[in-house]
Amino acid sequence: MGPIKIEPARAYEEAMTTQRKLAAALTTLREMDDVDFGVTPKEEIYREDKVVVYRFRGDGPPTAKVPILIVYALVNRPYMVDLQDDRSLVRNLLARGEDVYLIDWGYPDGADRWLTLDDYINGYIARSVDAVARHAGVPRINLLGICQGGAFSLCFSAIHPDKVKNLITMVTPVDFQTPDNMLSNWVQTMDVDLFVDTLGNVPADLMNLCYLMLKPYRLNQQKYIGLVDILDDKVEMENFLRMEKWIFDSPDQAGEAFRQFLKDFYQGNKLVQGGLRIGPHEVHLGNLHMPVLNIFAEQDHLVPPAASRALRGVVGTKDYTELAFRGGHIGIYVSGRAQREVPGAIHDWLAARSR
Amino acid sequence: MSAASNLLDQWQALARQYSNAWGELARGANEPAAMAADLAHGFEQWSRLFSAGSGPQGESIERMLDGAKRYAAFAQSILGAMGNQPGTAPDWGAAVLRGMAPDIGGVADAASRMFGAGPAPGDIRAWMNLPTFGPAREHQEEYQKSVLAWMDYQEQLRRYNELMVRAARRGFELFEGKLAEREQPGRQIDSLRALYDLWVDAAEEGYAEIALSHEFREVYGALVNAQMRVRAHVQKEVERVANDLGMPTRAEVDSIGQRLQALRREFRERGSDAAGDLAREVDRLRREVAELKAASEAADAPATPPSSRRVRKPARPSGRGTAKAAAQPRKPGAATKRPARRTAVRGPAKKRVVAARAEGSFASRIARFNDTSRVAPPTGALRGARPRARRGASR
Repeated sequence: MGPIKIEPARAYEEAMTTQRKLAAALTTLREMDDVDFGVTPKEEIYREDKVVVYRFRGDGPPTAKVPILIVYALVNRPYMVDLQDDRSLVRNLLARGEDVYLIDWGYPDGADRWLTLDDYINGYIARSVDAVARHAGVPRINLLGICQGGAFSLCFSAIHPDKVKNLITMVTPVDFQTPDNMLSNWVQTMDVDLFVDTLGNVPADLMNLCYLMLKPYRLNQQKYIGLVDILDDKVEMENFLRMEKWIFDSPDQAGEAFRQFLKDFYQGNKLVQGGLRIGPHEVHLGNLHMPVLNIFAEQDHLVPPAASRALRGVVGTKDYTELAFRGGHIGIYVSGRAQREVPGAIHDWLAARSR
Repeated sequence: MSAASNLLDQWQALARQYSNAWGELARGANEPAAMAADLAHGFEQWSRLFSAGSGPQGESIERMLDGAKRYAAFAQSILGAMGNQPGTAPDWGAAVLRGMAPDIGGVADAASRMFGAGPAPGDIRAWMNLPTFGPAREHQEEYQKSVLAWMDYQEQLRRYNELMVRAARRGFELFEGKLAEREQPGRQIDSLRALYDLWVDAAEEGYAEIALSHEFREVYGALVNAQMRVRAHVQKEVERVANDLGMPTRAEVDSIGQRLQALRREFRERGSDAAGDLAREVDRLRREVAELKAASEAADAPATPPSSRRVRKPARPSGRGTAKAAAQPRKPGAATKRPARRTAVRGPAKKRVVAARAEGSFASRIARFNDTSRVAPPTGALRGARPRARRGASR
């Protein structure tokens, strides 16, 4: 008995299904416009250079007294947290009464080539936090850092603990040198100074190709073969294309900040090893005495769970909570499971600490 | 007839032809491999029909077609193995290897897009190490270094591609293992897509083994560094030419940007320091005002009961006024409205002063100070009273 038992009739059915999908696509695709994203109304409350802080508006006024400021990564656009009606972390948090703000980093260009991590963390983030606190009329706010933005939020909260009431990190790398971290393995012998001195700002296309090479067969081929299955479904196609747009709509990376991030975080692993300096401040995660909620994805190929879990061992707080999500780095925002589990978990955790 | 309906007619004709052929296969009157070839042909036709106007989603469709063609090649190879050598067990591993050979190239292609691969030059390393002479020796030496950097890059790219091929081979080994696990009835693979997905799982596992290795770390780093050295040489040459022509260069723009950023940082720090000094000064003055007022009131009303004095004791700067302001509705203008309110209570209108007193806020303290200042001692005496109040406060 062999391992493959593909009956001709079954193969025929597969082929015919593909035919039907392709035929339907001739109509579906021609009827589609460019996809839209970022569905929740928002207002700008602060602007500096290319950085804009938005406050999202829910259907009703927020019931939470302390606002949440979302600090997204620099390497992708932040509208992933508000992608579409039924896939929106922001919308789900608003529906639970949270008051949600977000930092949009914009698209750095040549003028931003010399921005350092000090400029980002002690500059943009610090002033954004102040702006949100001022706007909300509170002395401290809740910080929700995502991926690289989570690492920044850890640094900021450790340097300015008086400004952060509760800290939430999502898919955030802390130990950058776990054995399953492919990205980290690749950059260990890179001459980062030569790289940044040569490129200046790091082009988004280069970053994207690098990410695609983390899973080349799945991300370059299998994903698109799966696309045939939904060619006749306009809604699913729109969802796919919206996601596709987000993946490749990436900003260039400010050269100096990239240099320091690779050298200190990836190569030096200083967030856990110690010795990390952001501007004039040394970062000690032991200074994190505020409540911390650490959410990570169990199938994350960019930030392995072990890289996030390391936070438990280095924070100073006794109020540390972990939430393991069954999904990947992207699914944690956009999957159906994420809509059901993640916003509720964040809200409940915050509510328990607001009493 | 519209262009769209014309395309649809063409497609339907193709689909009918295709359907008939598959029907023959199902009846055993056609070769599986020929059918898979038709599948590939179908994707080609569709690609041609659709390319007439793919719209904003064109790039995703291109990627889909690229993947679909690879999938068709995979199907062709598998179905070919099914049809050949009746009575003997097909060599599935070999069939997949044949079908997915373009995929190995595909991964290498992706790498090439990232690293910008090109044809390797011959080994002229020895020539490039020759010494240079004369007025243009610096330029000549730079050219030679550029060529050597390019040759090194080609060597690193070769090492990288070797690892890619090794990863693909490892994927096939793992695939054969996964196939062997599915020989029992009930675990057999019964569709082309399931077989393809299994192959992708194996290929990713094989790739991950290599990509997480120390060898890959070294080769990858060497490749990136070599590529950057080539690029740096090219930039240097472009800079030189631009400089000769009196054109602005990248180095100049970078230099200006760096200085500008440093200035902005310095300016902001100074501004921040100045704002901090100002805030501290205002704080100090507020304390002084409160202390003076308390001292003045104590002097004016010796019969005042002690409990009243406690009420008038100077409050900390972050007193009720601040708390009240914090409770203002959350709107952008809230912060800027508070000073206006303070200004209003400073005015001479008695009603306002009374209202402010009733609040007991910082504004009321200012109002009371205004009251007391009307009967305060001459300026010189007031000035003389300050040190005493400050000494008292410091205790």
